[in-house]
Amino acid sequence: MDKLLIRGPKRLKGEVTVSGAKNAALGVLPAALLLSDACTIENIPNILDIAILRRIMESLGTRFIDIDANTLRVDPTNVSSYVATSEDMHLFRGSYYLMGALLGRFRKAVVTFPGGCNFGVRPIDQHIKGFEALGAKVEIEHGHIKLSASKLTGANIYLDVVSVGATVNIMLAAVKAEGVTTIENAAKEPHIVDIANFLNAMGADIKGAGTDIIRIRGVKELKGNAVHSIIPDQIEAGTYMIAAAATKGDVLVKNVIPKHMESLSAKLIEMNVKVEEYDDSIRVWGKDRLNRVNIKTLPYPGFPTDLQPIMSVLLLRADGISTITESIFDNRFQYIEELRRMGAKVRVEGRMAVIEGGHKLTGAPIKALDLRAGAACVLAGCIADGVTEISNVHYIDRGYERMAEKLTSLGADIKRISDNEPA
Amino acid sequence: MNQGTVKFDFSNEYPNQTREIILKVYEALTEKGYNPINQIVGYIMSGDPTYITSHNNARSLISRVERDEILEELLRYYLER
Repeated sequence: MDKLLIRGPKRLKGEVTVSGAKNAALGVLPAALLLSDACTIENIPNILDIAILRRIMESLGTRFIDIDANTLRVDPTNVSSYVATSEDMHLFRGSYYLMGALLGRFRKAVVTFPGGCNFGVRPIDQHIKGFEALGAKVEIEHGHIKLSASKLTGANIYLDVVSVGATVNIMLAAVKAEGVTTIENAAKEPHIVDIANFLNAMGADIKGAGTDIIRIRGVKELKGNAVHSIIPDQIEAGTYMIAAAATKGDVLVKNVIPKHMESLSAKLIEMNVKVEEYDDSIRVWGKDRLNRVNIKTLPYPGFPTDLQPIMSVLLLRADGISTITESIFDNRFQYIEELRRMGAKVRVEGRMAVIEGGHKLTGAPIKALDLRAGAACVLAGCIADGVTEISNVHYIDRGYERMAEKLTSLGADIKRISDNEPA
Repeated sequence: MNQGTVKFDFSNEYPNQTREIILKVYEALTEKGYNPINQIVGYIMSGDPTYITSHNNARSLISRVERDEILEELLRYYLER
């Protein structure tokens, strides 16, 4: 297992380009299984989750051709298996999109329960509710979810809770169903719109993505043979924006959609950080004095839960006591213990973290406990005095393309070492 | 890094700006193989620029006008012709 050695504090300065959105790519690739012909997907991030998904899809018969580092030709014409039960399925959450995609293609699917970051209970009951409403029979046996339907028929589905995963999965299963499917109380995240854009470009008829009512008119065939470009990663962009603010830096974050960053930009400005938006980039200047703020995570367009751990590091630099309330997941403050090892003064009260700013952080050996917690550790290392050693780096590789390299290009002092290599 | 980045304000630079932007965005979406009407309607309804391709700077162009201004232009054109 690799480790990161970070020597801080360092002020980040320069330009960084954001990669394609992990969560969009993890939906678009399975969606390609619904096509009758090959398609080309641009701006795919080179991250571990995508490599694993590729391996799973290859095992089903999908053919991938690398056009360049971030462009793939995806050919699903020879996919013959509807069984995705390899160990790889446990490695990331997005593997559950194979349920909707395989059900939509074959009218049946056998898929292993998904894995992913451990933030507490992450039920898939809304996915199952949606599949059943479309006419599928759902059985859970030996850790596998078995889906089968003689035919899929459009239905009105009201999601009891706003669920990104269920919204995408129902969209995938319904796109070739007979008749019209309506998803009410749908999630509105940008990557849902991106997945709908991809399917529409291939011949689907999906309207309303990005609003809370999505209407899908089933089509007989998705021809494919088109090109789609994945949108920029909102969370990666936010990570570098927060990093600029936390290190008192000056960073131009390129390849972003500023509209997607509004909830973060507003909080940064409230904290006295200077933020300037351009057409497809955002420049962030950190300041010596930062105001305390209170934050609550919410579904899009609210403050994203994925930025919560990273933002907490910035709040350690604010004057006074800030709070973050986590309203999406019930156990997403495990990383706080790692920050405490560095001198952070934080207490967790239920779903709220109370963060006492203004105390100096010092380097320490810490662990990345999940993907975004890992990014928070890296940022903490960049602002702490001395050397921070971060283990479990593979979590960070799951969702950030060349994070250490990008931060180093901005002036961070980060060295990646493998366990058997001397520091 | 270019320290002299300048933020340009294109709003109301010329009167036919909204119409020209709609036409350029339409063209960019068509060139990339999307159904331009569906994509522009999706953008107006949701406000999410994800609907608009970055091809030929279309995504940046459409964010230079407010969605209500786009709708006004479309209605004006439809009702006054």
